[in-house]
Amino acid sequence: MSLMEPCFHCGQAIPDGDLIFKKINEEEHSFCCHGCASVCEVIYEAGMESFYRRTPEGELLSPPPPPNKDIDFFDYDEVQSQYVTDLSDRREITLMSDAIHCAACVWLIEHTMAKEDSVLLTTVNFTNKRIKIRWNNSQLKLSSIIKKLNSIGYDATPYDASASEKAYRKANRDLLYRLGFAGFAMMNVTWFSVALYTGASDDQEFKTYFYWLQLMIATATIVYSGLPFFKGAWTSIKAKTVGMDVSIALGLLTTYFYSLWVMVDASGDGYVYFNTLIDFIFLLLIGRYLEAISKNKALDSTRRLMDLQPKVARQLVNGEEQVVPVRRLVKSDQILVKPGEQFPADGVILSGESMANESMLTGESLEVEKTVGDHVSAGTLNVDGTLTVSVEKILQDTQLGHIVHMVEEAQGSKAPIQSSVDKIMPWFVSVTLSLALGSFLYWFINADLEFAVMTATAVLIITCPCAFGLATPMAEAVATGVSAKNGILVKNGTVLETLQSIQHFVFDKTGTLTKGKMKLVDYQLVSEENKSALLLDIASIEQLSEHSLGRAIAENMRESLGISIKELKEVDGFKALPGKGVRGSCNGSELHIGTAKWLTELGIELLESLQVQAQERAQLAQTVIWVAKQNKLVGLLFLEDEIRPEAAELIQRLKDKGKQVTLLSGDLQVVADCVAKQLGGMQVIAEVLPEDKNKVIQELQAQGQKVAMVGDGVNDAPALVRADVGIALGSGTDVSMDSADIVLMNNELMAVDTAVELSARTLKTIKQNIISSFAYNIIMVPLAVAGTLTPLIAAITMPLSSLVVIGNAARIRSFFSQKAINKRRKGAK
Amino acid sequence: MDVIYGLIPMMLFFGFLVVVIFIWMAKTGHFDDLDGAANRIFMDDEYPEDLKNKDKTTEKLKEEKPSV
Repeated sequence: MSLMEPCFHCGQAIPDGDLIFKKINEEEHSFCCHGCASVCEVIYEAGMESFYRRTPEGELLSPPPPPNKDIDFFDYDEVQSQYVTDLSDRREITLMSDAIHCAACVWLIEHTMAKEDSVLLTTVNFTNKRIKIRWNNSQLKLSSIIKKLNSIGYDATPYDASASEKAYRKANRDLLYRLGFAGFAMMNVTWFSVALYTGASDDQEFKTYFYWLQLMIATATIVYSGLPFFKGAWTSIKAKTVGMDVSIALGLLTTYFYSLWVMVDASGDGYVYFNTLIDFIFLLLIGRYLEAISKNKALDSTRRLMDLQPKVARQLVNGEEQVVPVRRLVKSDQILVKPGEQFPADGVILSGESMANESMLTGESLEVEKTVGDHVSAGTLNVDGTLTVSVEKILQDTQLGHIVHMVEEAQGSKAPIQSSVDKIMPWFVSVTLSLALGSFLYWFINADLEFAVMTATAVLIITCPCAFGLATPMAEAVATGVSAKNGILVKNGTVLETLQSIQHFVFDKTGTLTKGKMKLVDYQLVSEENKSALLLDIASIEQLSEHSLGRAIAENMRESLGISIKELKEVDGFKALPGKGVRGSCNGSELHIGTAKWLTELGIELLESLQVQAQERAQLAQTVIWVAKQNKLVGLLFLEDEIRPEAAELIQRLKDKGKQVTLLSGDLQVVADCVAKQLGGMQVIAEVLPEDKNKVIQELQAQGQKVAMVGDGVNDAPALVRADVGIALGSGTDVSMDSADIVLMNNELMAVDTAVELSARTLKTIKQNIISSFAYNIIMVPLAVAGTLTPLIAAITMPLSSLVVIGNAARIRSFFSQKAINKRRKGAK
Repeated sequence: MDVIYGLIPMMLFFGFLVVVIFIWMAKTGHFDDLDGAANRIFMDDEYPEDLKNKDKTTEKLKEEKPSV
């Protein structure tokens, strides 16, 4: 068997040194990892080996994802009630699995699960990568189902579409049906109109017949497809405002009843406008639909936030461990928190020590040391020690609960953004109405009543704001569409109008301007003797560490020495001490790598000169790690949270545009100042408590500024909602992405600037569209006032004006063309 | 030309019916998984490996139809 053979399970090339042999079905096969090997074994044991034959030729699978964590929790009814239909014996759940990627996967899952007696039904939705399972809960636990799926190489996370997402999708679909019906009606009515315009109207009998057919279709369309506009108009009137819908409803009703009157009153020689009416509805619905889909992913972030807290806790009752739902805990109950688990409640540590990852609350990626008497917060992660915690607060009263409350409050108090068209509308409607009234009065005096009514309605028909209705949504839909393809997800198209007018950009520090990941920047050794050997020892020991600092040291050290994992030395007696450091021996000499305090405790003398240096570095926001060999100090390691390479340029570009830039951080003032200085200087607001970030935004807004917030953490969520425009990084937490208006999926900070430019471009297009709609009205209104408007002219010009708007909006696509990108890059330099 | 008095309403009715059926189909989830069924059909082939464990698996898959 040659070494070049790909992995038997996933088909991918096996990296050097990772080769694993396993005997399966009496035959030796090679695998790229243990995951692949064990999955393959399970598949053979289950008699599902034809899976490999079914996998399309040349299709590469990926190695199995890591098994789901904490799945035992899903067995509790408290947790399950969120995902399953009802809590009877026969339950149904939808699981998400990203590992599903070809039809053979579907086959494997469905057939493997069918073999389980207690699984009643398995269907895999290949498009959405979701597995729907119905099972008998008294015979089989949900965790065993998930374990089974894990064993054949698929991750499985219970899926819970939030209620608001469902409602949003339903509304969207509903609009699509109405649009479809209007399209169907338009096609049919157009044929009758063409017949009428080309001569059928000469024959009175056909004319009447076609009129009646048109009336029937138009009635159905105005009732079904036109409903959203009438509803909107009604809400608007009730709120005593004149929005676009009022204008549309007025135009639709006038057109409909005027045509009806012309039809019934056979003596009159007016025209029917049923064709124009349906065209209106169709085109306006396109605008409405585009508007709806550009507001995609309207997830409610507060629900997701609450989900960050575990639902069950391990309570200690008389020294025994019991799993109970969190809401049953009361103050000073004792709970046990194991390594890798989230804290289920806020509390104080009674015994044990560990490191806690509080990044979700503070944004700080560095683990915090926790010992007896320290406070822990619900939702944060216990990294490496088992702790007994006395419960202080649960659910809504926890720190996380406060953030949820703040997000809700901010969402509630945020006024919807008024688009530029909304501002024009009341004015437009009053001008239209006075024009109609004016022409009615003029012709009533100079001609007869019938002609006066005809011209007045013609004015209302022709000014129906069809192109207006498309002007904004079309531009926003195109802009959000192209930006999404380029890694900028705009969740609410309306912010594209606002973004360019933002005066003040506030940046979160950790994770946004910096990478949020520690990096070894420098080291200082006591003597240069045997330097590389010492560094190799340090790397070898830290390689075994679980701590983020340790991993950073090992990784960067290996990089600078240019060695692979396999070249590292063997370590004896490795031990990680939470909050202190690590120790281990290489070639018989013992190394201690950790904090100054720990080394002092061990009786190791810290050199004066190095202590001074360490203090200097600490001022620069660097973390100092001390290294001792055989109980003698040998050197210092300096780590820092690296600033994103593109951050400085972004700040510069924003400043060039005349925007104010502020750094908002929970860190010490000196640290934040230091980062701001490296980025070319900006305003700094430091030492802000996580829960006070949105207050800072509020204060800036109170000064009359429009503020955009760029952040990535859970603690940024209230500020993201509060700001006029919230921008989240794709690498950030789900909650921050839910709270933001714009998500930078490509994770490039520079995209903030691109979004600002796109916003300027979009607003320019919207303005052009509005102007072209005005031009159309200015040309057409005199025709209507003069009484020379015919249905044919209306039928041609009205869609034409909309097409101009659509065509102009489509030009935004060129914003991301290579030429335009190069031009922007040059412009920036 | 009298024929159009009957034909046009009839065609309109059929067209309307098609729209209604389409909306009904979309509402009952017929368009939710367009790729799944297209691919699943290729998986129905029997391989020699499958014969030895050809038990209730296949029958069960046929028995319970997915609810929508």
